[in-house]
Amino acid sequence: MTVNDRGLAIQVEELSKRFRIPLDRSSTLKHRLAHWRSASRYRTLEALLDINFVVREGEFIGIIGHNGSGKSTLLKILAHIYRPDAGRVTIEGKVSPFLELGVGFNPELTARENIFLSGAILGLGREELHRRFDEIIGFAELEQFVDNRLKNFSSGMEVRLAFSLAIQAHAEILLMDEVLAVGDASFQEKCFDVFNRYKREGRTVVLVTHELAAVTRYCDRALLLDHGRLVADGSATDVTAQYRRAIGLAADGSRIGPEIERWGARDVVVTGARMLNEGGEEDRNPTTGGFTRIEFSYQILNDAVSEFTCVMWLVRADGLVVSEAHLPVSQYARVGATQQGSSGTIRYDLPQLPLLEGDYGVNIELQARRDAAAYDHVEHAIRFRVIDRNERRGVVEPGGTWSVVPHESALAGWPDQLASTQ
Amino acid sequence: MSSSAEALAPGDASASQLSSFRHYRHLTLELAVSQFKLRYTRSLLGYFWSLLKPAMIFAITYFIFVDLFKINDGTEFYGIQLLLGIVVWTFFAECTASSMQAIAGNSGLIRKAYFPRSILVIAASFSSLFTFLINLVIVFIIAVGLHQIDVGLRIVMVIPLLVELYLLALGVSLFLSALFVQFHDVGHLWDVLMQLLFYGSGVMFSLTYVLQRVHLAGAQVAGHGPHDVWIVEIMATNPIMQTIEDLRHALLTPVAPWTELVMSGHLAAVNQYGALDTPWLVPAPFLVVAVIFAVGALTFRSRARSFAENL
Repeated sequence: MTVNDRGLAIQVEELSKRFRIPLDRSSTLKHRLAHWRSASRYRTLEALLDINFVVREGEFIGIIGHNGSGKSTLLKILAHIYRPDAGRVTIEGKVSPFLELGVGFNPELTARENIFLSGAILGLGREELHRRFDEIIGFAELEQFVDNRLKNFSSGMEVRLAFSLAIQAHAEILLMDEVLAVGDASFQEKCFDVFNRYKREGRTVVLVTHELAAVTRYCDRALLLDHGRLVADGSATDVTAQYRRAIGLAADGSRIGPEIERWGARDVVVTGARMLNEGGEEDRNPTTGGFTRIEFSYQILNDAVSEFTCVMWLVRADGLVVSEAHLPVSQYARVGATQQGSSGTIRYDLPQLPLLEGDYGVNIELQARRDAAAYDHVEHAIRFRVIDRNERRGVVEPGGTWSVVPHESALAGWPDQLASTQ
Repeated sequence: MSSSAEALAPGDASASQLSSFRHYRHLTLELAVSQFKLRYTRSLLGYFWSLLKPAMIFAITYFIFVDLFKINDGTEFYGIQLLLGIVVWTFFAECTASSMQAIAGNSGLIRKAYFPRSILVIAASFSSLFTFLINLVIVFIIAVGLHQIDVGLRIVMVIPLLVELYLLALGVSLFLSALFVQFHDVGHLWDVLMQLLFYGSGVMFSLTYVLQRVHLAGAQVAGHGPHDVWIVEIMATNPIMQTIEDLRHALLTPVAPWTELVMSGHLAAVNQYGALDTPWLVPAPFLVVAVIFAVGALTFRSRARSFAENL
């Protein structure tokens, strides 16, 4: 049975949602009374615009896009939290009422009390929670802290509790907003185990995340949102690749925000990055035409990694990508999780820095192969300011050479015409 | 009560499919229990505060009015009637004050999980209701201990009276909590209004006592009929006054007459100043409750869909 034969789980037709943000944030009666005649002044934000897609039963679908692209708004509409302004949303089946982990948790209550409260929001009955109580606590590895107040828990403990409770939900359609954004590596592995189980059980999952590697690993399909519009709907690999290109190559700079700093599967990670001058000292103010070395180190965390490539972009502060450079690292160094090959340093030398004065950054990404999913992408791994002693305008010093050839005859060509017009 | 939660849910086809009566009843109780627990965390006396507070307010009121000013409504059961009035008033005041914050104070829940929003208000009111019921039992026990009680079949009327009082408190709470999301002024305005309501609800004096005082004052000043009876007539439409008075009659002593009798003039024979002759006012308190509940529920319903966006 192919996906297209399965029943519809979610159908979204021509969905639009706009938010009216009052320009004057005063929310008092006095203000309303004083301005009852004049229409309130609002800035309208088109959070979602004419969105159409379907999700079939048992599909695992990822929604990606930069912050503010409308991902969470879309998820909240699917969860009945927001109402659409236009269009139709049809949902077949029971939707999980949770978007994030730990909704309803109260720090003053104990782990036990929080399980019953938060479990009630999830739709679990009291008897059922009693029956599964040991399982929930066991999965969260919190057996000794059952009657401690949540405020005394570490954030890791709290997340484990929230997650082990959330996976008890009976919903046929699970909506998850950035559940992967929290927790350490071992917790993320637990998340992935549960995702695998959901896939086996044929549950429908809609996952909003910044972890592109998770999308390629678990989602059959992905939707890419950009400023409230659905710009791509296709296989997870294609759509994440498109998104990665978009954030890497955006010329207007609007898509490189401080919020997207780092993502990837972390099988290989960047452990450090610096910029050095001729004398081998760290220097973030190189001069145009001077010797500059960009140096960064990596570490392989997953034994299975046998090859990887690094990509480095020089980016101007406003997002303009000045250049891109590749190095298939595994062709030049022994790669493996053995003592010798598990980490190393990569250098990129610029004998005459070709950049003119301005603020720049270095983005680094480690991949299995060129254009494969990121092991580790670090946005602005190094930020630096180039000083040009000649104070020229522009971006690059292309290293061209000038020459002037004086003409011997006054009769020859345009200089005369030029002279006659004066 | 949970059925009203269903009715008030921002409804659409899929939402009602997903809503199950049992689930929301369970959620309401779970929220109410947690709120009750939370209200008394970080305090040494814990739950005892819910009992101690009305007792202390009673002690102060009794000391000032009875011991100091020698004011008394002339009945032998004044003390216990005052206590009952204070307990009812405390319920109404605490229920509306805490329910008002039920939406604005749970923005995290509202923005991240779906369930009928009215559940939050109902849960907050339940936690006050629970305290109130315990207090009522204690008032009853004290009354028995002091022999200031005359138990009769009238006591069955306590249940419809409590339902009436609760519907009033819930209606006001729904209205206030919905408006409070956008207009915090509502909180200040309500504080002031509560001060006025306190004096207009017969917490300290019965309706007949107020009527007597008005007649006496009128007689002293003008030598003829009272001018201020209209104030008493307005007070008589106040459902809080009516429930307090009727609870006194039903739970404690027949000496305190049914408000219905006071209003309809049937008591005139007993006490020439103790009654109004306004039978048309008899249904007024019930109408007020019905209107307030309807307005509260409709206001809440129409605003509930935008809570998540406005918080």
